[in-house]
Amino acid sequence: MNIFINFFNEPNENWFHIKKYLLKDYVVNSTILIVFTGLFTTMLGTSLAWIVSIYDFPMKRFFKWGLVLSLAIPAYIGAYTYNGLLNYTGVIQTFLRNYLDIYVNQKYFNVMSMKGAIFVFTMFLFPYVYIITRSFLEKQSSSLIESGRVLGRNSLGIFIHVVVPISRAAIIGGVSLVILEVLNDYGVVKYFGIPTFSTAIFKTWFAMGDIDSAVKLSSILMFLVFGILILEKFLRGRKKFSYTTAKVRPLTCIQLKGIKGILACSYCFLVFSLSFLIPTLQLTHWTIMTYKKILDMKFLGLMMNSLWIALFSSVLIVIIGIVIANYCRVHEGIISKVYSKMTVVGYSIPGAVIAIGVIVFFINLDHKLYWIYKIINPNTSKLLLSTSIIMLIFAYIIRFLAIGYNSIESGFEKVGKRFFEASRTLGMNMTQTFFKVDFQMIKPAILSAFVLVFVDILKELPLTLILRPFNFNTLATKSFEYANDEMIHEAAISSLIIIIISVVSIYFFYKVGDKEEV
Amino acid sequence: MKKRSILISLSLVLIFSLLTLAGCSSTQETSGATEKTEESKEQAVNLYTNRHYDTDEQLLQLFTEETGIKVNVVKGDSDELIERLAREGKDTEADLLITADAGRLHRAKEKDLLQSVASEELLENIPENLRDEDNQWFCLTVRGRVVVYAKDRVNPSDLSTYEDLTNSKWQGKILVRSSSNLYNQSLLASFIEINGEEKAKEWAKGLVGNMAREPKGNDRAQATAVVAGEGDLAIMNTYYVGKMLNSSNPEEVKVAENVGVFFPNQDTTGTHINVSGIGLTKHAKNKENAIKLIEFLSSEKAQKQFAQANYEYPVNPKNEPSELLKSWGEFKTQNINLSKLGENNKKAVEIFNEVGWK
Repeated sequence: MNIFINFFNEPNENWFHIKKYLLKDYVVNSTILIVFTGLFTTMLGTSLAWIVSIYDFPMKRFFKWGLVLSLAIPAYIGAYTYNGLLNYTGVIQTFLRNYLDIYVNQKYFNVMSMKGAIFVFTMFLFPYVYIITRSFLEKQSSSLIESGRVLGRNSLGIFIHVVVPISRAAIIGGVSLVILEVLNDYGVVKYFGIPTFSTAIFKTWFAMGDIDSAVKLSSILMFLVFGILILEKFLRGRKKFSYTTAKVRPLTCIQLKGIKGILACSYCFLVFSLSFLIPTLQLTHWTIMTYKKILDMKFLGLMMNSLWIALFSSVLIVIIGIVIANYCRVHEGIISKVYSKMTVVGYSIPGAVIAIGVIVFFINLDHKLYWIYKIINPNTSKLLLSTSIIMLIFAYIIRFLAIGYNSIESGFEKVGKRFFEASRTLGMNMTQTFFKVDFQMIKPAILSAFVLVFVDILKELPLTLILRPFNFNTLATKSFEYANDEMIHEAAISSLIIIIISVVSIYFFYKVGDKEEV
Repeated sequence: MKKRSILISLSLVLIFSLLTLAGCSSTQETSGATEKTEESKEQAVNLYTNRHYDTDEQLLQLFTEETGIKVNVVKGDSDELIERLAREGKDTEADLLITADAGRLHRAKEKDLLQSVASEELLENIPENLRDEDNQWFCLTVRGRVVVYAKDRVNPSDLSTYEDLTNSKWQGKILVRSSSNLYNQSLLASFIEINGEEKAKEWAKGLVGNMAREPKGNDRAQATAVVAGEGDLAIMNTYYVGKMLNSSNPEEVKVAENVGVFFPNQDTTGTHINVSGIGLTKHAKNKENAIKLIEFLSSEKAQKQFAQANYEYPVNPKNEPSELLKSWGEFKTQNINLSKLGENNKKAVEIFNEVGWK
């Protein structure tokens, strides 16, 4: 964070240059991206969550978790995949050309545009809204929705007048994650050539070699993010939606028959195809083209690396998330609010900026701890921590605490304080209460926090790229290296493995989660 | 109640720190211990690189096999690696820095991160114009940044210079990637050096006026767009054409077969090249091994591998380019000191911004 002291430096020549020629573009583009992505992810996420949690229709059990799967695909891989699919050498145009002799105008197939970016972001980020809203609806809304039914509202009426208002907090929580992801994305916008704040930060810092101006830009970005977060709190309002009674009944679903059932099913299937099935098939196709060249024993090492670091870090993040969330819940006050907002800071800073900040921090730490190292091992090298994997794990914690924390916090919020207070009144102490009461009740939230963080770390890029120790490669860095060298076909296999691991973990945890619910 | 809550927070913090410590000790055992024991027995050299090619890995393996010196690698973006090197200062573990751009090596030199290497072998293997004047960095490979044209629509005799690309006859016909790309920055930096700032700016402005679409995608995407008919000419690096001709996607091979490679400015200032190069870090701890590795990479044998497998031009005069590169013919390169690319980089970025090259 010491980087941000520079913010108050006098603006330099570069800064005026940026302001004059570039700033407007950055603001306009970033705004368009977050507004439309936010809008579309809300529409998709909320409507799907509603359909899946309130109705029964063919294949519902599958879509319930199948719709989450696109989270497993890093947005930039999604971007490469869609472009690969649609461009001149892609399957679609090749087929039209070679078999039907149809030559199409490129402009209809141009995914590398603002619209394309919004599409890609929507497809690969909407699950944030979907997951949070769905789990909220399933747990919580039965009495309200059933009252709505009894009072004679039709389905759409219930959706608009009951579902949307009561799940407002959940929806906004999801959308704010989406917006933060979009603001932070570097891969998609760089590839599509859309100048945004994050490309601007990289450009000024690295291409113009000007840290001061880069910091100014990041600060603007951070103010923006804080604005969004405050807006989020404001929109959530004072209402606290915790269980209205101690008896929580799961919702009884309405069976959709005939054409309605088919419609619901095809809507889910369409989104599922666009967000997961089609990109995965394309990657599989590329993998088949290249696996002989790429796949070897080294890949096993990459997989193990990716797995253990993601596992270890996500466990840590979940634990820290629980501690902070629990603290904030018990102690309501300014300090706890500050704590809880602090966790989100890491999520709002671009990866590369965090990375350099973390390096500086660890080098200082190494200098301070050098005398201890010497006691343990006289001929130790000075930069011990800052050349180790610990630095990377630390950075992951800073970066992803927000995701874990948000989910856990919403878990606590849903449970409310009633049970906690009851337990304390009945003579259990804090520890007992936590493990016997709270932990049991927020288990699903903890699980979903874990899965979200795990999958995110598995596909994380800039931090791993900059902070990894010597000879440390993960699946994500490998696939980026290929993609960056314009070898998207060769990148397919590691992307595919990331996706498979994520899918397995999402499936596994959702199964466990389902059992818990019964 | 308050005491208890503090107690529980404390105990959780304790658990957390124990976990971290467990993590530390386990990683130290694996990485630290092996390093420590091997340090006495095994020679090593530590490399920061922004080249990610599998061919490079094979070369480094070959080096280890021949010399017994282990090569440890951190890969990353050149700018970020330089920043990391600067922050680590004299305690850095890195001995060598490889970047795919002379401008960045120059930046590392300016930041006082490199040191001179005295090696007869390197002076012999690498021509003077392809190394730093103080021998702080050396080029290892060369690519041409050329004009690629649609064979069915463009007569190569209509092509002449980079400057000519701003001619109104090419309006709406030119494809090129974004200005955040280092290759484009170095291209413009070379024009600033050769033609002066004003002319360079005029050129960039003229080119923006002739663009077929807003800059986007990578070099391969430009060639593909040429064949798809979005434009007629694309500015791109030679080695991507080589890679596309050998792609695992048959459609990409077709694209590459349908474009021609043209080396601009042959009668005037020469074709712009960009290079990959290597420098010895100022605080290298394995200096001898590091120099051995540079020498190895500039040797005939290693150069052959660069040229054959990655479609780059070798720097060692004893080596010849691969058959494919030879088929495009010999060409005259810009005769400028490559350090200038680094010196002019910032100016180039500013010009791009001013003329609206996205």
